[in-house]
Amino acid sequence: MTGETVRIAQLSCGPEYSGVQKEIYAAAEAVGAEVFFPDLSLADIKRNFRDFGLDVRSGDLKLAIARAVALVEGAADADAVFIASCFRCAEAAIVRNELRRYIHEYSKLPVVSYSFTERTTSGTLLTRMEALTTIARRRALLARERQTGLTMGVDSGSSTTKAVVMQDNEIIGTGWRPTTEVIASADDAIALALEESGVKRDDLDAVGTTGYGRFLVGEQIKADLVQEELTVNSKGAVFLADCQHGPSTVIDIGGMDNKAISVLDGIPGTFTMGGICAGASGRFLEMTAKRLGVDITELGPLAMKGMGDDVPMNSYCIVFGTQSLVNALAEGHSKENVAAAACHSVAEQVFEQQLQEIDIKEPVVMVGGTSLIQGLVRAMGNLLQTEVVVPHHSQYIGSVGAALLSSGFVEKSG
Amino acid sequence: MKEVIPPLYAGTVTKYVFIESYKATPDDIAARAYEVSGGVMIKETCFGLQITGKEEEVERVISHVRELDPAHIYVKDRGFPPGDPRRCRANLGGARPGYFGHEHEMGFIRRIAIGLEKLDSPSDIPASESEQKNTEGLSVKRLMELIIQEA
Amino acid sequence: MAEVFIYPATSLILSDLVARFGHKPLGTALSIRERIQTAGLDSPPLQMTPDDAKKGLRWAAVEVPSGVRGRMSLFGPLIDQAEAAIIVRNPEFAFGCMGCARTDELVEFLVKQKKIPILELDYPADEEEGINFVHSVKNFLTRLGGVS
Repeated sequence: MTGETVRIAQLSCGPEYSGVQKEIYAAAEAVGAEVFFPDLSLADIKRNFRDFGLDVRSGDLKLAIARAVALVEGAADADAVFIASCFRCAEAAIVRNELRRYIHEYSKLPVVSYSFTERTTSGTLLTRMEALTTIARRRALLARERQTGLTMGVDSGSSTTKAVVMQDNEIIGTGWRPTTEVIASADDAIALALEESGVKRDDLDAVGTTGYGRFLVGEQIKADLVQEELTVNSKGAVFLADCQHGPSTVIDIGGMDNKAISVLDGIPGTFTMGGICAGASGRFLEMTAKRLGVDITELGPLAMKGMGDDVPMNSYCIVFGTQSLVNALAEGHSKENVAAAACHSVAEQVFEQQLQEIDIKEPVVMVGGTSLIQGLVRAMGNLLQTEVVVPHHSQYIGSVGAALLSSGFVEKSG
Repeated sequence: MKEVIPPLYAGTVTKYVFIESYKATPDDIAARAYEVSGGVMIKETCFGLQITGKEEEVERVISHVRELDPAHIYVKDRGFPPGDPRRCRANLGGARPGYFGHEHEMGFIRRIAIGLEKLDSPSDIPASESEQKNTEGLSVKRLMELIIQEA
Repeated sequence: MAEVFIYPATSLILSDLVARFGHKPLGTALSIRERIQTAGLDSPPLQMTPDDAKKGLRWAAVEVPSGVRGRMSLFGPLIDQAEAAIIVRNPEFAFGCMGCARTDELVEFLVKQKKIPILELDYPADEEEGINFVHSVKNFLTRLGGVS
């Protein structure tokens, strides 16, 4: 990380008492940021709290509200905002949600909200903090709309590793491998992409990495850009879906966790990441395909032929989800209907757990490998009552974003 | 925030001394505290003092300071020693949450001061002790009467 | 000298009056001090660790948010220790240890469950109420056997 320290304002209730404040400090420090509490007088607290109008009882939530108002009104300075409260607290959840929405609407500050338990570690918070600092530090880079020169992006994900070579704003080669050994999988995917594009590694002007293995792969291939997937995927999504201006919503249901990102002019404003259980991720669909005896690529078309409405399925937890899968098949439901129900269940989990935390603005763009499962896209569209956009190369979204953003380093070095 | 901070001043207590008086300023109570400070550590603040040391010594200094204006000097325990980097405003970027609570109570502490002053003159003490106020409001019957009356 | 739990547990006024009239105020500053002075803890700012949220299970079940359970690990031992209590009804703008309304409700309930002498009153809204407030507190504390 380069650049000046990014100052992240913390609006919270409970982390000190849950033993997780230290983890918040550690995550911020790891990405060159510092967490601080906006300073106010008691009179300001009382006025801001009253003006905001959400009459909560908890003093620390009143303080969080007053601090949010101070940030929006410019009475306190920050580069980004981190909102945190206890998991399972209804009062705090309401405040968290409303503050996130308020800050997003009335300021340009990137904001992320998180509900923690005493088990939350700095590792869990790291990508979120990194995204906050990226948005604060690299606004100019994130504003890039065209890919220039010859660049490559590598997305080292938890399930698959993808590589894309781009030249003069066009994709000229792609490659993907299941992620086994991180560096070996990246080498294989890169070799495939280079082969398809007909260029050599040395010909590339710049390289970018993203995804879980970004640091390891980035170091190995001497990447110019190593950046978390929240900002990179947003950029890739709006680039491919041709909606770089104005608002959009990016949904990426991944192999291990999901991202829902509210984007404005290609830059994430609010985002959520995670999911309670793999039951709400691509992993559950992989299991479903295996159980149905079909390849994952066939699951989507299968689901499109089925109606999931009369198949009871709840993948809130992957164990119970699998159980209902087994039960449904035992009860004689068709493969098509079970596939459709599994898609609906995953979409429903993402909808209930994550999409409530961001503002859904059209167009809604679905990306990542799971966006190729048509049944899942249809289920999401039904839940959101909108036509979901799946751009070409949507499974390569992180690699495209990384190739596009890394071209920012071409001009610099040239 | 990085370094592990070993327990400072283990076995001591820290107390806040707040002053809200027309007779004495925070400077005055500091001067008075220093007269008998002995082994205790005294830190002057905008609202008064923070005194750190062995409990009985801190109490001794506080008794001496209180004599200056008993009804207008207030004392409270503090968990942290003064200047602790974990609670210092400079490091947090803003005041610790407890500060606002004190600011809130200091906003009406004069009412307590009057109460303390009047303790010495029993004739001023109201007959009834603090009882819960009747907040049940009007009976429906009485409310109806009033509505009819106004109509 | 009685050990008197104060609510708000961060109150300057109650802490002062209880000590002034010869008793020991039990506020959360004491619980925080204990942690700050314990060697080997490294969890700034309050030196509270995830273990505190687990200790809080004694007073609140596992489905209760971690911040409530963590705070209960500060309040619980004070409530256990308390021989009497003074409670200000509906204190506004209490932060930090008192910053969670759900914890505060539980604390107040547990104190009342204890069947110890309790004085409940409101913060004074004017001078007359201030006189009343101090007088009530003093009378209550005197009845506990303190010095006046």
